[in-house]
Amino acid sequence: MPEQAKKNSAFSALLKHREVGLAAILVVLFLLVGLRNLAFTTGPNALFIMEDTAIMIILALGMLCVLLVGSIDISISAIMALSTMTAGIVMKQYLTITETQAMVNGAMTSMTLRESTPLVLIILIGMGVGALSGAMNGALIAYGRVLPIVATLGMQYILYGLSHVISDGQAVYRKDMPDAFINLSRENLLGLNSKIWIMLAVFLLVFLFLTYSRRGRYLYAVGSSPEAAAMSGIRIQRSRLLAHVIMGALAGLAGLLYASRDTKITQDMAMSYEMYVIAACVIGGVSVSGGRGKALGVVLGALTIGVINNALTMLRLTGNSEFWKKAIQGALILMAVVTNVLIQRAKERRVLKDRRI
Amino acid sequence: MSRLTNRLPEWLKRWEWILVILILAVFWVFSSQQPDNYTLSKLLNQTRVYMVDVGFMALGMLTVLILGDIDISVAATAALSATVMAVSYNQGSGIPFEAAIALMLITGAVCGLINGLLVTRFSELFPMIITLSTQTLYRGIAYIILKDQSSGRFPAWFSKDLGYGAMSILGLDVPIMLVCFLAVLPAFYIWLHKTASGRRIFAAGTNLTASRYSGVRTGRIKLAVFTLNGLMAAVGGFFLTSRTGSVKYTIATGFEMQAIAIAVLGGASTSGGRGSVVGLLLALVLMTGLKNGLMLVYNDAFILNLSIGLLLILIVLIPNLTGELRRRSAVRRQRLSLQKA
Repeated sequence: MPEQAKKNSAFSALLKHREVGLAAILVVLFLLVGLRNLAFTTGPNALFIMEDTAIMIILALGMLCVLLVGSIDISISAIMALSTMTAGIVMKQYLTITETQAMVNGAMTSMTLRESTPLVLIILIGMGVGALSGAMNGALIAYGRVLPIVATLGMQYILYGLSHVISDGQAVYRKDMPDAFINLSRENLLGLNSKIWIMLAVFLLVFLFLTYSRRGRYLYAVGSSPEAAAMSGIRIQRSRLLAHVIMGALAGLAGLLYASRDTKITQDMAMSYEMYVIAACVIGGVSVSGGRGKALGVVLGALTIGVINNALTMLRLTGNSEFWKKAIQGALILMAVVTNVLIQRAKERRVLKDRRI
Repeated sequence: MSRLTNRLPEWLKRWEWILVILILAVFWVFSSQQPDNYTLSKLLNQTRVYMVDVGFMALGMLTVLILGDIDISVAATAALSATVMAVSYNQGSGIPFEAAIALMLITGAVCGLINGLLVTRFSELFPMIITLSTQTLYRGIAYIILKDQSSGRFPAWFSKDLGYGAMSILGLDVPIMLVCFLAVLPAFYIWLHKTASGRRIFAAGTNLTASRYSGVRTGRIKLAVFTLNGLMAAVGGFFLTSRTGSVKYTIATGFEMQAIAIAVLGGASTSGGRGSVVGLLLALVLMTGLKNGLMLVYNDAFILNLSIGLLLILIVLIPNLTGELRRRSAVRRQRLSLQKA
């Protein structure tokens, strides 16, 4: 009997951290694909998946804050489009191209230097416009009492429209971008891509904010029980606003990275990307009704989607995997979400069983 | 002001009147600006594009919203069922078109049923998440069936008579598909608002737990509503195909959001328990009038969407804010009277 109790406690201790279970699913998935295609399990490919998913992780960390307060934001792709377009117009406006001739290895080579507003300023503009859009969302939801899904649905239309209006229908291409911006997503440091570094920094900040700062803990309080939070003196509407501002700013940042990666800014950039981000959060154990979710879980959830996406390309299930990819993606996300629920149910049943004796 | 609104009879305070006023305003503004192009007969002509297919999807969405759930996968369902219809008719060996239509309706209903089963079996998961995933799934299946091709040989009665035909009513050319839609509406209205099974949807949406304890089989209702929604999505896809004449896996992209927007404009709430067929029809008329006018003036889809987003937010925001103000002034008055006493 004591032996069984011990086993039980070890098992439940493991289950208590659902991130562990998620990490296990992720590793198993990774290895399973490796069985079919050995190239999948190599280090460089793992890094590639990480790099490929970094933008989604940044967005998912913002979405975590929004979901924690019991809200949702389906306008993030529109925020990305508007903020990046604003930044893109600024860099296009101030772009100067200088050509210099220089002797390199004894041969004359011409070098073009493309300069524009400082990169820091571009990033600030992008994140600023994002934060403003997020603040609009937050104000509508917190102070206007519009249901989050309706408010952000309307804002999605408006922001896409605005990005079209300010750009006059013109896209921003590589020729309009300064070198510094193009390299923003291509720089390497200690063998890691800059997108990974930025993602790690955002993760650390969000993790510290949600775990150790007072305002971060307020987000959990507001999401689990708005009434109780209000009674205990938390200004719940301000917390809701804050969550949306964070989401907006991160969407601005993610949009810039996205544009730098694709070297193209269009009005309908990243359309319906929000669906993947919300799915990443749900796989990562975030409750859509608010109050539950961790930064680490979200990262793992997004990586799961990243692995699925990457694996579907690597596996080449049929002649043209593109056709299968789209269908299977949805099914796999659904399976991951359902597995999560089943694990949760098993856990709850275990807790009940423990209580009975 | 508040005293005046208190004295108004209850039926005059309904949401639908605001929509009626907005419709009149929109029609007045555009017809004075573009007297030649903004006429009733041209508007009726445009209902094919702006009203019928979205309208069917919005009807289904309305029932789902009344339950307090949401279905993101309707547009994908429409695309998949239209694909099934087109492919089974064009590539199947001698399948009559009627059978293809039946297959299409079955496909829609099955898609809805799958959503419903997932929603009821995994009640911890939010319908939004489930239908988000099935959306990619359904559209993906349509993609697998059709690849990048489009499929578009249909009988003449379908793509000509139904898609572009009109019948003369009171001297106006009314599109046949609009007549079909308007014929469905009263039946839908009576079912949803006047029969016990329709009212049970409202009950379940207002308070699921209370309804279950009072003997409403909420699980079964959810299944039925999601199945119906899938079926309506298929019907929407059917009319969309008759108008465009061909099917691709990308058809109806973004229609789910339009359907939600129209149902919400019509007075439905995403938190459940509210919504009306009359409001939905008025919202559709408003949208048709607005979209048509904006396209005439700006001819720009982005401006169109921008205005619709603004309208959607304002129309939900303003009653909230006035309600809030009224509540605050009531509190203040109460405080004052307490101080006097």
